[in-house]
Amino acid sequence: MKQALPLGLILLFFNLSIEAQNFTTTNAQRLIQSGEDSLLMGSNIQKTVVSGYGSAAFQRNFDQQQSTVTLERAVIFVGHQFSQKISFFSELEIENAKVEGGVSNVAEIAMEQAFLKFNVNAHQYFIAGLFTPRIGILNENHLPTNFNGVERPIVETLIIPATWRELGVGFYGNSEKIPLNYSFALMNGLEGANFEHGSGIRGGRAEGNLASANNIAVTAAVQYYWKNFKFQISGYSGGTVTLAPKSADSLGLNSGAFGTPIYLGEADAQYEYNAWSAKALGVYISYPEAGKMNTVYGNNTATAMFGAYAELAYNWLFKKSTKASLISFARFEALNMNSGIAANGEGIYDGTEKQTQLIMGFGYLPLPNVVIKADVRLMHTGPQNPELVVNPAPNALPYQQYNQFLNVGIGYSF
Amino acid sequence: MERRKFLQAGYKACLFLGAGLCISELTACGPATQILHLPVSDNTVRVPVNAFAKQPMQIIRPEGWLYDIAVRKTNNHQYEALFLQCTHQKNQVISEGNGFVCPLHGSRYSLDGQVRKGPAEMSLKKFTVHEDSDELIIELKS
Repeated sequence: MKQALPLGLILLFFNLSIEAQNFTTTNAQRLIQSGEDSLLMGSNIQKTVVSGYGSAAFQRNFDQQQSTVTLERAVIFVGHQFSQKISFFSELEIENAKVEGGVSNVAEIAMEQAFLKFNVNAHQYFIAGLFTPRIGILNENHLPTNFNGVERPIVETLIIPATWRELGVGFYGNSEKIPLNYSFALMNGLEGANFEHGSGIRGGRAEGNLASANNIAVTAAVQYYWKNFKFQISGYSGGTVTLAPKSADSLGLNSGAFGTPIYLGEADAQYEYNAWSAKALGVYISYPEAGKMNTVYGNNTATAMFGAYAELAYNWLFKKSTKASLISFARFEALNMNSGIAANGEGIYDGTEKQTQLIMGFGYLPLPNVVIKADVRLMHTGPQNPELVVNPAPNALPYQQYNQFLNVGIGYSF
Repeated sequence: MERRKFLQAGYKACLFLGAGLCISELTACGPATQILHLPVSDNTVRVPVNAFAKQPMQIIRPEGWLYDIAVRKTNNHQYEALFLQCTHQKNQVISEGNGFVCPLHGSRYSLDGQVRKGPAEMSLKKFTVHEDSDELIIELKS
């Protein structure tokens, strides 16, 4: 397996390069490339496209009696069409507005995506580079104008660590015979040593930043359309140890491409009919060897995690306007970042990681590309485990299992 | 959950999906996806009118093109031809239940090509369509 994988990767890249070289020019394409075809004059004249999205938000945390306001994200897209078959897409993101002196605990400048796209035909293409794989609803389409609520769904932040981007190659397509889309991707794996208690697997993302390629991951998704429904299932499997075999062996960890694996399975459904829309999602993560990792790194990572949410929304302006929307919504989320813990004392249960969230609010979009949002979030968690309390009361305020948040925000995309 | 059980659950999910896909009746309920591959002649594409007898919308692919065209028979028996190229960053848009979607950034369009969700701001391009007895003629230079 270890020998076959590099060979497979080489063949895949070789295949891509052949694909790039073997583009045959049809009559129609010659017309397009020569600019004779008025249809695609636009793409010949304006080959580089700049666009973007962003959001700013105010949040009141009633338990902590704290309010914050921040420019959450300002993202610039740059896309370039080299030819009818090869394009480049990128997203450069600044989170929380300012990174001073190159260092900040809360701000970030990062490439969210940067990949080349190779069209095979009108319904199939390869991508290569840094991209967000099709896992869940939000990861692939995360613009603030396209989801309800000021905050992204908690399940798609803490269980599916959106935006989850890694380096790799992907193959995307849709069936010519049935309403079905599919995708498959090979990426660098997660860094299990960086998993952090309280944020699931989020800390393990390399995000294109000198990622280890000692371990890799595969992910695949299938989408199916039926009437006004869209269904999706997706899965992810990958290794989490980035160490060389000798180092891993000395720590009692399994290394290699899929060593110390983590598995994720997800399913979701979306419905839209006139003014009504609804979505539901469930995700489960299994990390069988979390105990070994905890012994080495002391991260208290769980062996199993799950999350699910359901959302119902109604557009009050559906009949009055084709452009403006006033959407009220309610979303219920349930998640547990330690639904399974390692045996033999290799994991400690934390009740605060078992949460329910109820979010209710509205979004007003005067245009499809601009949104003003407001909502309240009611959070409930399990009790704190006294074994995990480093700073007990009265040194710190007692932990509250119930909390409320008020969120107000704006968002745009263009 | 043990790895074995997880894999078993995954296999079962795939089996269910496969079984679902085999129910051919479901395909009739989804959006038009049977793609008609048609030749281009003098910057026009000819589509037989009888193709719309069962489905009010057909997806056609002009020979050698990397984008499809959605041809739809409207309620007042007119025909519209939409170029399935996202007006945001020129990605292919694909047919979904009640319109079109660009998988790249999530732009969504209604069946008549109007923007329903950004980041796209402009409607899908329309081609001129003529009806000539039993054929539709789509002007690709329009």
